[in-house]
Amino acid sequence: MSQTAALLAGEPLIRVDGVNKHFGPHHVLKDVSTHFNAGEVAVILGASGSGKSTLLRMLNRLETHDSGRIVVDGIEVSDDARQLDKLRTEVGMVFQQFNLFPHLTVLDNVALAPRRVRGLSRAEAEARAKDLLDRVGLSAHIHKHPFQLSGGQQQRVAIARSLAMQPKVLLFDEPTSALDPEMVKEVLDVMKRLAATGMTMLVVTHEMGFAREVADRVLFIDQGRVAADAPPEQFFGAQDNERIRAFLGQILH
Amino acid sequence: MVAAAAGLLLILWLITIPLAMAPEPIGNNAQLFADGTRVTVQLTVVSGLIGVVLGVLAALGKVSRVAPLRWVAGFYIWVMRGTPLLVQVLFVYFALPEISPWLRMSEFTAACMALALNVGAYNAEAIRAGLLAVPKGQLEAARSLGLSRWHTFIDITFPQAFKIALPPLVNNIVALLKDSSLAFTIGVVELTNAGSQVKSTSFQAVPVFIATAIIYLVLTTVMTQISDAVERRFDIEGKLG
Repeated sequence: MSQTAALLAGEPLIRVDGVNKHFGPHHVLKDVSTHFNAGEVAVILGASGSGKSTLLRMLNRLETHDSGRIVVDGIEVSDDARQLDKLRTEVGMVFQQFNLFPHLTVLDNVALAPRRVRGLSRAEAEARAKDLLDRVGLSAHIHKHPFQLSGGQQQRVAIARSLAMQPKVLLFDEPTSALDPEMVKEVLDVMKRLAATGMTMLVVTHEMGFAREVADRVLFIDQGRVAADAPPEQFFGAQDNERIRAFLGQILH
Repeated sequence: MVAAAAGLLLILWLITIPLAMAPEPIGNNAQLFADGTRVTVQLTVVSGLIGVVLGVLAALGKVSRVAPLRWVAGFYIWVMRGTPLLVQVLFVYFALPEISPWLRMSEFTAACMALALNVGAYNAEAIRAGLLAVPKGQLEAARSLGLSRWHTFIDITFPQAFKIALPPLVNNIVALLKDSSLAFTIGVVELTNAGSQVKSTSFQAVPVFIATAIIYLVLTTVMTQISDAVERRFDIEGKLG
């Protein structure tokens, strides 16, 4: 509801205002301001250590920000525990290392949060989980444990697990970086299908093909600042920024 | 696991039979040995269960973000691991009633309490190690799904921590079974006390203490069987082969 309300008011789903972050003496993010609209697919690029994962992780408070404001779907991101729990139910996260729960079956991994947080009955939650696992092509594996699955399969379970909470935005923190090359495609395919459904997605990745093909926007973070923010055709086209050209040159060989 | 636990009950139930068939001075004192064995197992089970609960609480205290909880848990572990169990047993039985008459308890209760407090401190360190061994990514995944702190702990952290803590916990419980012999000193007629009584009436130390030791060995063996079964139950990844 609030998302619709926000849209009507022309308010972006996520607003980042003058955010700074330090790790010790290292100034990771410098006065970053940007916003993300509902339904948008944004790809965040940048060299390792540029602060792109930190920016993503601040949006659901896995990292704190030192100054500035972050508002997600009308909720100010802060240490207020109740607001934080509410925020996290609306913001899904997919991790580089999958972080599936090793002691639970695939089905329980996906069904747990809807039961505990949304108050669904076991039957309702499992029906939702089965439906989602079917959509990511894992119906045959629902009673297995994570260690029995390949990396690509585990990451697809992780995506289904996030979707089970029906979040308003899904954050992807280098979702294919820990995968063997042959498994990258199956995960990207799931993400592409998800983007096509109108899901709001923020994706930190090095997959240029995905950025080119799926993204509405490409943000380039360089030394803690948003150095570029453009549609992909413009970003990958005639690029006059020397540092971006160098970065793209390294990634694309 | 059920089979091993049933085995333990069966041993307690039927232990009089092989003991009665043993030559003198065991056979004619079979009932005393059997009763002593039962008391030893009761001491171990009761103080073991309380000790696990104490261990969980103390471990949580030690990793708590609330400083006074960390101090209380740290103090408890420091005192219990830093003083002899025998002193603790004697203190609970003899000294506590002098501090307050409300703290007067039977020999058995006092022994259980001292043993539970002692093993709880060792369990706390085992469980704390388990809690710290759960990867940070697990907490991040649980929290980013919107799970509350409580559900993150109950559904995600604790099951994984407990599995890691299980082998050292079992080690502590096996040690507890043997340490329960210290209840002898405050007059609890457990297995060692029973053996000692038979020795003083029969004057045959060798067969008496061999029999006593064999009974302890049988109990610890069964206990290890139970723990192996529990470990296997938690070993969903098939690491144990």
